[in-house]
Amino acid sequence: MWAMIVKEFRQLRRDRRTLAMMIVMPVILLIVFGYAASFDVSTISTVVAGPQARATVLRAPFDVVQREPAEGASWARTQLRDGRAAVAVVTGTPAAVFIDGSQLFTARAALTALANMQRQAGPLASAGTAGAPGSAGTAGASAGTAGARAPEVTVLYNPGLKTAAVMIPGLAGVVLVFVGTIITSLGVVRERQSGTLEQLAVMPLRPRDVFLGKIAPYFAVAVLDLAIVIAVGVAVFGVPFRGSLGVFALGALLFLFVTLGLGVLISSVSENQGQAIQLSVMIMLPQVLLSGLIFPLSSIAVGVRWISYLLPLTYFNEISRGVMLRAEPIGPLWPPFVFLALLGLVVVTLATLRFRAYLAPATPGRGRRTPAAPRGLATTAAGTALHGGAGAGEAR
Amino acid sequence: MSEPEGRGVAWTEERGTSDEGRRRLKRPAGERGPAVSGALAECVGVTRRFGRSIAVDGVDLRVDSGEVVGLLGANGAGKTTLIRMLLGLLQVSEGEVRLFGEPPSRRTRQRIGYLPQTLGLYDDLTAAENLAFSAAVFGGDTSRALPAALRPYGRRLVGDLPLGVQRRVAFAEALAHRPDLLILDEPTSGVDPLARARLWETIGETAAAGAGVLVTTHYMDEAGECGRLVIMADGRVVSRGTAAEITGDARVTVVETDAWARAFGVLEAAGLRAALVGRTLRVPGAPPDVVRRALGGMDARVSEAPMTLEERFSQITSSISRTEEVG
Amino acid sequence: MSGGGTVSSDQAVSGDWWGTDAVSVWYGKVLALDRVTFRAAAGQVSAVVGGDGAGRTTLLRCLAGALAASDGEIRRPAARRIGYQPAGSGTYPDLTVAQNLAFRAAVYGVSAAGSGADYLERAGLAAARDRLAGRLSGGMRQKLGVIAAMLHQPALLVLDEPTTGVDPVSRIELWSLIARAAADGAAVVLATSYLDEAERASHVLALDAGRELAAGTPQQIVASMPGTVRVMDARPAGDEARRAWRRNARWQVWAPDGRAPADGEPVQPDLQDAVTVAALARELAMSGNRQ
Repeated sequence: MWAMIVKEFRQLRRDRRTLAMMIVMPVILLIVFGYAASFDVSTISTVVAGPQARATVLRAPFDVVQREPAEGASWARTQLRDGRAAVAVVTGTPAAVFIDGSQLFTARAALTALANMQRQAGPLASAGTAGAPGSAGTAGASAGTAGARAPEVTVLYNPGLKTAAVMIPGLAGVVLVFVGTIITSLGVVRERQSGTLEQLAVMPLRPRDVFLGKIAPYFAVAVLDLAIVIAVGVAVFGVPFRGSLGVFALGALLFLFVTLGLGVLISSVSENQGQAIQLSVMIMLPQVLLSGLIFPLSSIAVGVRWISYLLPLTYFNEISRGVMLRAEPIGPLWPPFVFLALLGLVVVTLATLRFRAYLAPATPGRGRRTPAAPRGLATTAAGTALHGGAGAGEAR
Repeated sequence: MSEPEGRGVAWTEERGTSDEGRRRLKRPAGERGPAVSGALAECVGVTRRFGRSIAVDGVDLRVDSGEVVGLLGANGAGKTTLIRMLLGLLQVSEGEVRLFGEPPSRRTRQRIGYLPQTLGLYDDLTAAENLAFSAAVFGGDTSRALPAALRPYGRRLVGDLPLGVQRRVAFAEALAHRPDLLILDEPTSGVDPLARARLWETIGETAAAGAGVLVTTHYMDEAGECGRLVIMADGRVVSRGTAAEITGDARVTVVETDAWARAFGVLEAAGLRAALVGRTLRVPGAPPDVVRRALGGMDARVSEAPMTLEERFSQITSSISRTEEVG
Repeated sequence: MSGGGTVSSDQAVSGDWWGTDAVSVWYGKVLALDRVTFRAAAGQVSAVVGGDGAGRTTLLRCLAGALAASDGEIRRPAARRIGYQPAGSGTYPDLTVAQNLAFRAAVYGVSAAGSGADYLERAGLAAARDRLAGRLSGGMRQKLGVIAAMLHQPALLVLDEPTTGVDPVSRIELWSLIARAAADGAAVVLATSYLDEAERASHVLALDAGRELAAGTPQQIVASMPGTVRVMDARPAGDEARRAWRRNARWQVWAPDGRAPADGEPVQPDLQDAVTVAALARELAMSGNRQ
C-alpha cells in the first residue's frame, strides 16, 4: 500500500493543472468569502430631485451622487431605470422615495435605513434634515416637523423583493456560460482525442467552415436553453420581462460569442476532456461568485472588485436584469454592450487563429505539439501506432 | 492515464489474510516459486456469458513450464476475455480456471507477469518510478529493476519515450519479479522486425529458464516461435496444434498474370476471394480448375502452392459464421 | 531552414507520380525525416515500413498535406483528390457507419450511396450500417476507415497503418479494398509493420530513424542485400553473435561478405530478412563509428 501512496504523490506532483486547481481554488474561495462575499451593503447610490434637492442631507448608507432641483419624479424613475442610482428621493410634501427593487440587497438595506431614520428621528421633515439621532440639528428639525408626513416609499420593479425575480435573469447568464464554455470545449477536445482533427486538416474544408460548423450546434442549444430559462422564469416564477426582447437578444448574442470563443480557446489548450473541464470550471467559478449574481457588486471590497469588472458575466447580468426587470433601453446600456462586443471580438479572433493553426499544414520546427491519437483508445490498432508524446521531442 | 490491468483490481481475496499472511505473500527477490509439476495455467471447459451473448464457449487450454503457446484469433473471438479470466479479473460462468494448480488469487497473481496491449505504464511517471512501483507491489528487487540497456531512460517520463522503448520498459516490468507464467497480449504490435526479433529473444530465454508463456499475436510468422498454437473464433477453440499440424497439406491456387488488376476483378465477380501478393493472386479454398474456369480465356499461369498459416487461419475462422463479428 | 516547396495539381496524369523529393522535417531539434525521396505511382501500392520513430507517420502526413516539410519538395494532388486515413482508424466513434460515410461524402462532394454501399458490402460491413463505429471490432473499424478514405476515388490514397493490430482475416479483406483502390487508378501509399504485406506492394521504402534504409521493389531490395543469411538452431557465439537475430525459434546469421562457415543452413532471404540485415548493418556501422 505504501507503494501506491508514493506513486500517487509522484503523479500528483507532475499534474500541474490539478495542483493549480487544488491550490488556486481554495485561494480564490478564500478571497471571495473574505473580501467579496457579503450581503451587507455599505453605500447606496442616491439621487435627489425636487426643489429642496440641494438642501437635503442624507447620511450613510445613502451616498448622494447627483442633485437636480429642476427635475421631478419621472426623471428620478429614469435614473433608477438606467441603473444610475439605487434610490431616488424627490423632495416635496410628502417626499417620495423610489427604491430600485432589482437590486435586492441594496433595496433591503435602503428600506432598513429609512425605517431606522424614521424611528430615531421622528417623522421625517419634508424639508429638514434626516440624519443620525442625537445630531444637534434634529432637535430644531423635529420641532419644526412635528406633524409633517412620512415620505412615500415605493419599491420599483420588484415590489415584493422576491429573490427569484433577481436570480433568474442572472441564471440566464450562467446557462450561457455553462453551454458556451464547458460544453463547447468538450466538443472540440473530443475531436482532438479521437484523432480525427488531423483528418479534417487534410480535407478540402476551410478552417472557417470547421470552426463555425463545430460551434453551431452549441450555439443552438444555448439559445434553446436560454429561452427555456426565461420562459419558465416568467411563467412559473412570475419574473417579469418588461423590456425589449431585441435588446436582450442582442446582449445574449454578444455574450454567447464570448463564451463560445472561450470554449474553443480552452479546448485548444487541453489535450483531453478532463483537462477541458478543469479549465472550464476554473473560469466559471469566479464568474458565478464575483459577477454580482449572488453577492452584490457594491458590497465586494474594492480591492477585489476589479476582478468582477473583467468578467463577462458581470456585464451580461447588467443587461439581463436591466432589460427584464427595469425595461432599460439600449442607450444607457452601452458600457456593457461595448465591453462584450470588444471582448467577443478578441476572443473569437484568438479562437479562430488557433483553430486555423490546427488545420493548416503544421509547420514543424516550431516545436508545436501536434494533435496525436491517444493510447488506449480501447482498440487494438490505435494504441500501438501513435502515442500521446508526439511533440517537440519526438520523431514519428 | 493507463491503468495497468490486473494490478490491484478485483483480485480474489484469500480467506483470512492476516498481516502474517501478507508478509508471507511477498517472495524474496529473485526466487522463483516452487516448481509445479502440473500445468502452470489450465482452463477446463471455461465459458463466460455476458447477458445473452457468449464471449467464451467451453474452452480448454493449458500452458506448461518451458513452452510458448500462441493464442490466435480475430478481435472479438474471446481472447481478451479468456485472458482476463485466467488473470482472475473476471469470474467464469462455467468451467474452471487453475493457476499453478489452484484457483486465481492474489498469491497466484504474484507469480504471473502480464503485459497488456496498452502496456500498462503510467505516462506521468518515469521509467524507473514505474518499475519501482511494480517491484514494491510484486515484491521484486527494486535495485536491479531496470536492465542496463534501459538505464539511460530511467529518469525520463514514460509518456515522452518512443513507443519502442516504452515497450521494452513494460517488458522489463513484467519480467522483474521473475514470474513463472508470462501472459503477453500482442507484445510486438507495430514493432519493426529487428526489435521484434530482440523481444522474442527475451521471451525465448524466459521460457528456456522454465517459465510458461501465453502470447497473443497477429503476426503469423511469429506463430513459428510458438511451440503450440490455439486458434479461437466466436469464443470457441477451432483449431490447435503446431503450425505444421494446423496447415496440414492444405493448398492454395496461385495465379500469375500481367493483368493482375483485371484478374482480380474477374475473380471477385465470380465470388472467389483473392489476395494480392505483389502481382500474384492467391486464391485459397478454390482448386485450380475452378479458378481457371472463372478466369476464362485470360492469359495467366495457374498453379498450386502450399497454404500459409495465415491463409489457413483465415480459412478456418471465416468458415465460422462471419456475421457474428461483434465489436 | 528554407520552407519546403509543394506542387499540387488537379489532374492525375497516369504514369505521373506523387511523392517527396529529398524532404526533411524537423520537430524542434529532432530530425524526423532526413532527405527522404519517395515516389508513389498511380495504380500501384507502395509500402512504407519501419519501426516506431522511423518517420513513417511523418512522411505520410507530409504526403497527405497535414504537415509542411522543412526542406525538399512534395508533390501531391489538390485536397479534393487526396484520401487520408491517420493511424487509429480515423472514424468518429459516436457516429454510425453510414453517418461516417455520409459526412465524408458530403465534404468531398460525392454521393455516399453508390460506391459506398458497394465497398461496405464487399468488406462485410453492410450488416453493420447502423452500428456506432465505436462499437465495431478493431478490424471492422479499420475497414470503415479505409472505405471512408477511398470513397471519393482519390488520386492519392494515404493509409497510416491500416492493418496494425488487425486480425489476419480482416487484414485480407482490407487488402482486397486496397487492391481495389489501386485497380481503380489511385496511387496507394500505406505504412505497415508487416513485412509480408510489404512484399505484396509494388514499391517499398524502409525507414530507420528518419533515413532511408532500403528502397525499391521487394525483389530489388532482397537482391541488393549484401552477403548471405543462414539459419542455425543455437545462438552463435563470439563475433557472429552481433550479426544474429532470432526468427521462428531459430537463429538467423548474416555474413556480410558472403563467406559463411559450414554450420547452419543457407536461407533464401525474404523482405523481412533484407530489411533486418539493413537495420543491423546500420546499427553495426554506427556503433563501429563510436568506438
